[in-house]
Amino acid sequence: MSREILSVKGLNAAYGEAKVLFDIDMSVNTGQIVACVGRNGAGKTTLLKSIAGFLKPTSGSVTADNTLLSGMKSYDVAKFGVKYIPQDKKVFFDLTVRENLELGSYATKDYNWDQVIAYFPKLRLLMERKAGHLSGGERQMLMIGRAILGRPKVLLIDEPTEGLAPGIVAQLKSTFREISLKTSLLIVEQNLPLVCAIADKVYAVKDGRIVAELGDKESISVAACERYL
Amino acid sequence: MITPQLLISGVIFGLSIGSIYFLLAIGLSLCFGLMRIISLDQLLYYSIGANITYSVNLLSGNMWWGVLAGMAVAALASFAVERVIFLRIYARDPTFSMITSFGILIGGIGIIKYFWGVVPRPVEVPTLLQVSIFGTEVPVYRLIVIAIAAVVYIGIWLFLHRTIVGKAIRAAIEDVEHVEGLGINVSRLFTLTFIIAGALSGLAGGLHAPLIMVDPTMGLEMLAFVFMVVIIGGLGSIKGTLVSALVIGQVVSLGSIIYAPMAQMAPFVIMLLVLLIKPTGLYGSPVFKR
Repeated sequence: MSREILSVKGLNAAYGEAKVLFDIDMSVNTGQIVACVGRNGAGKTTLLKSIAGFLKPTSGSVTADNTLLSGMKSYDVAKFGVKYIPQDKKVFFDLTVRENLELGSYATKDYNWDQVIAYFPKLRLLMERKAGHLSGGERQMLMIGRAILGRPKVLLIDEPTEGLAPGIVAQLKSTFREISLKTSLLIVEQNLPLVCAIADKVYAVKDGRIVAELGDKESISVAACERYL
Repeated sequence: MITPQLLISGVIFGLSIGSIYFLLAIGLSLCFGLMRIISLDQLLYYSIGANITYSVNLLSGNMWWGVLAGMAVAALASFAVERVIFLRIYARDPTFSMITSFGILIGGIGIIKYFWGVVPRPVEVPTLLQVSIFGTEVPVYRLIVIAIAAVVYIGIWLFLHRTIVGKAIRAAIEDVEHVEGLGINVSRLFTLTFIIAGALSGLAGGLHAPLIMVDPTMGLEMLAFVFMVVIIGGLGSIKGTLVSALVIGQVVSLGSIIYAPMAQMAPFVIMLLVLLIKPTGLYGSPVFKR
């Protein structure tokens, strides 16, 4: 039975004097993949950062599993099980793949990497390689692998397929489906065919506001998404 | 005329003074690498280490107890400063931390003057033994200082590369936000790093005390050299700090043998050349992000 795992109510956020988000209401259920689509500068990344605790909302609330996240430090939000995977595919360059994963384990006390290797078998072969020497796709695998340690409640993933080869995107698509069986996903993505293939719900974001909610599989299509961009 | 004996003696002197520079500069380098602060107050912990060493040596007759006590007091002082002052200014521009830490240094010197006075004081060398290296008599104490610096370098390397906390510090040196995104409290890493840096500065002061006269402004006298070591080596790089400290130590030592004014001038020339050729320093990383 699906239940609400992440709830955002009346969220407003700003960078100094510049207001970026206006009265955002959204929710993610267990087992769901929810996507946010919108043009560059619409406020999608700011939304994820506000949920993850990197940007303090000016008003509104974020709750996960009935716990109020607003006001928590970003590391406490991550520890609670809401993890943010940024757009920049930033791994720790000077650390090996193994050390990057160790940091994920250190934070969550989950030292079982079987699931990570099951999703991304290639990482097993790259364990001793410096993360700075990985390709863009390999970095994305490492970032997701690192984040799923500790079995988080929700993953907030920012533009996961940006700049990746089609083969890697196809692999990520099926991996996202598998991950969503255990961890809900809130994805910001501009690749509309991918969004339509995997999302259970889509929010269209424009000028810091949610302008549409496509709440069932039948209503989610590239044409429907484009209508609101 | 430079004899082989003079040369060997100069190299050992250079290595020992380079070791002191390394122990003192490592804190400054780590603090910038991780917290992006310019922690000139490390020079205060260096002075504290030396003054505590002087007092404990006077009371106990054992300089090594003094060095340990100096490290402990310096670590405590750095912990207090981090919690009370730096915690509030991490988000500010690095130049703000430089001005603040210089203020702490000047204020701290005032406190040292209050407790220890302004008269320079000698600390007895713990051993007057000498060993012969290629026919040159070399003080054993200088060799001990070099050995301690080597042990500290290996210890820090092992800590940063073999422990999970050390790996988290290395990751945070690259990007604080991403480490927090994993669920790691970076603020604790900051505090730990600050305490380690303060303790090592105190160690530098304690070890340096028998080689110079201990006085309240001894930290200020090291300011230019330590700055050069950190900039030449590359901010945040442990290896760079070691290499740079040893190079500057040799330049100061051998330079004073060849032509005394060179000892003061040459380090600045090296720094300028390094900045022109590689502005991030010899081992500085361009991937730092706060």
